[in-house]
Amino acid sequence: MDTLFSIATVEAGIRLGLPVALAALGAIINERSGVLNLGLEGMMLSGALGGYIVNDATGSPWIGLLAGLLVGASTGGVFAGLVVTFRTSQVVTGIAFTIVAIAATTYLFQLRWDIGELPPRVERLGMWPLVALTLVCVAAVWFLFRRTTLGLTISAVGESPESADALGYNVVLIRWMATIAGGALAGLGGAVLVNGPLGLFIEEVTAGRGWVALALVVFAGWRPVPAVAGAFLFGLCDAAQLRLQGTATEVPYEVFLALPYVVTLIALVVRARRSHTPAALGDPYVRGAA
Amino acid sequence: MTSSDTRQPASGTTPSPKSTWPPKLDGWLDAVSRRATAEGILSSILVPVVSALAALVVGGVLIAIDGVNPLSVYQAILQGVFTKSRGFSYTATVATPLVLIGVGYALAYRARVFTIGGEGQYLVGAVAGTAVVTAGGVGDLPRVVLIVMGLGAAMVAGALWGGLAGVLANRFGASIVISTLMLSFIGDSLLQWAVRDGIRDPESYNANSRPITAAALPSFFGQKTHLGFLFALVLVPIAWWLIRRHRWGFRIDALGHNPGTLDANEFSSARVTLSVLVVAGGLAGLAGMVETTGVNIRLGQEASVGYGWDAIIVALIGRLHPLGVLIAGLGMAGLTIGFESAQRQFELPSSLVSLITAFVIIFVVWGDAIAARWKEAR
Repeated sequence: MDTLFSIATVEAGIRLGLPVALAALGAIINERSGVLNLGLEGMMLSGALGGYIVNDATGSPWIGLLAGLLVGASTGGVFAGLVVTFRTSQVVTGIAFTIVAIAATTYLFQLRWDIGELPPRVERLGMWPLVALTLVCVAAVWFLFRRTTLGLTISAVGESPESADALGYNVVLIRWMATIAGGALAGLGGAVLVNGPLGLFIEEVTAGRGWVALALVVFAGWRPVPAVAGAFLFGLCDAAQLRLQGTATEVPYEVFLALPYVVTLIALVVRARRSHTPAALGDPYVRGAA
Repeated sequence: MTSSDTRQPASGTTPSPKSTWPPKLDGWLDAVSRRATAEGILSSILVPVVSALAALVVGGVLIAIDGVNPLSVYQAILQGVFTKSRGFSYTATVATPLVLIGVGYALAYRARVFTIGGEGQYLVGAVAGTAVVTAGGVGDLPRVVLIVMGLGAAMVAGALWGGLAGVLANRFGASIVISTLMLSFIGDSLLQWAVRDGIRDPESYNANSRPITAAALPSFFGQKTHLGFLFALVLVPIAWWLIRRHRWGFRIDALGHNPGTLDANEFSSARVTLSVLVVAGGLAGLAGMVETTGVNIRLGQEASVGYGWDAIIVALIGRLHPLGVLIAGLGMAGLTIGFESAQRQFELPSSLVSLITAFVIIFVVWGDAIAARWKEAR
């Protein structure tokens, strides 16, 4: 067990926590505006594939990250079109969106690399640049909601779209922007996963990390700093799981396989009641309907 | 108890809470669980059919981009289902778990209880059922007893897995979408452990359970279709009856439309949430054991083939209606089976089928929104 609590595990934990942290930040912006984004997992996965293909083609992980950001933003745009403009059910659309993203990324991946053919490993970024990137994003989201009018406007739209509308703010536009920003950060998170700790793409590479991010947002009470702390905790469990899989221990390694999800479940239970849910979360806004 | 609990026909006569409707909803559920009006039937049939055709067109474009003639692919799919001798039988076999899980989802979604945990419930059901029928000392029991014990254990395990999400939601307010998903991942870990260690066949080199042939389901209609398909066929009218004629089904729809009416009648919406999750979980657990004893010889690591995820699509395309779920399940199974032979023939990516079905569901969601706008405009 002494190898478990080593610097290497902590480092791996940070590395694996970063993608989740970025996706959680995206979900915070998204949900503060009142749009519940259950497509987050799908957006992360799309960003991961985009980041991987572009990194493979250009040889630059930084361009790969940019690609993940852009792919994520465009999936966010599609999602906004459906739930904000067409006012489809946010829950159903989100689940459907993730199903489509899983199928589409698998399809594109299979088109590019035949089964059995080994997809190339791409150049990976080290930990510190990615930590710096994530910290910049955390600071930006914190600043947005604590210090800017735009952040207050987004929150107002999520709490009471009618009042925001009456004050002259464009609810639809703000929700569009928030959803695109959320998708962009989720896509960036996926690209970080592929261009950082993993260095390769496999089918469903995100393995539920987008859903974990959504749970963390509840746990964090829609605040960026606790969300990142939660993501680090998830990363640590993930790293411990990977480390212990090969070694023979008293406890079956499947326990560690399940651990990140058990911890997420516990986090969801512990904080759910005390959360500060945006009042209009999940409600489509129809002008003049209320 | 209260008036809602006294015995009265839940349907046919207009129930009193209905006057407090029309419910404030987004168009989607409105279109789905509306009582049968001509317009309702039209939109609930038209939207999925048009969506399916549109998805096939998109799929055709993708096939064409791949340099293959889409029409010959679709022809091969139809031939695979309708002219090959085993096409029907395989289709029914694949449809069985989809329909069993899909009906459970449909009941839950009618109550706006958005569980996506069918895969985990399916797996824990398969593990529990297999553990019971391969336990020491049950080998001498008659096959019927073994089958009933196995299926019963699977249903209980699935129901507990689903019910756990209900308890977490009712007591702690945990989001059901996320908790059922986490429980699916945990259920998969449980399967991995069970076949590697817990209920592993000590004489087998591979990680799998002892053979479950003693509890194998009888098959009919040729070699492949098993008793489980009959379960699915029987479940559909039962679920239909529950929705249209039983108080429980009425409460489910009340919870989906306007939880306030339940509370106003002093009937706890938490109980409906829990019961619907237990039932959906039990059905998914049943599906897991039915698949294990109907199709496979042992339970292995590869038991997770994603029926629990595909059934979400089946429930939504089937408009949360049991008959719709059956049709959608058969359609999806047919596409899968037909595509299997077409895929080999034309060397297409195996994930194309999931992509096409995924497009159906996006088009259904979109089509509903368009239909709702249309109605508003008039």
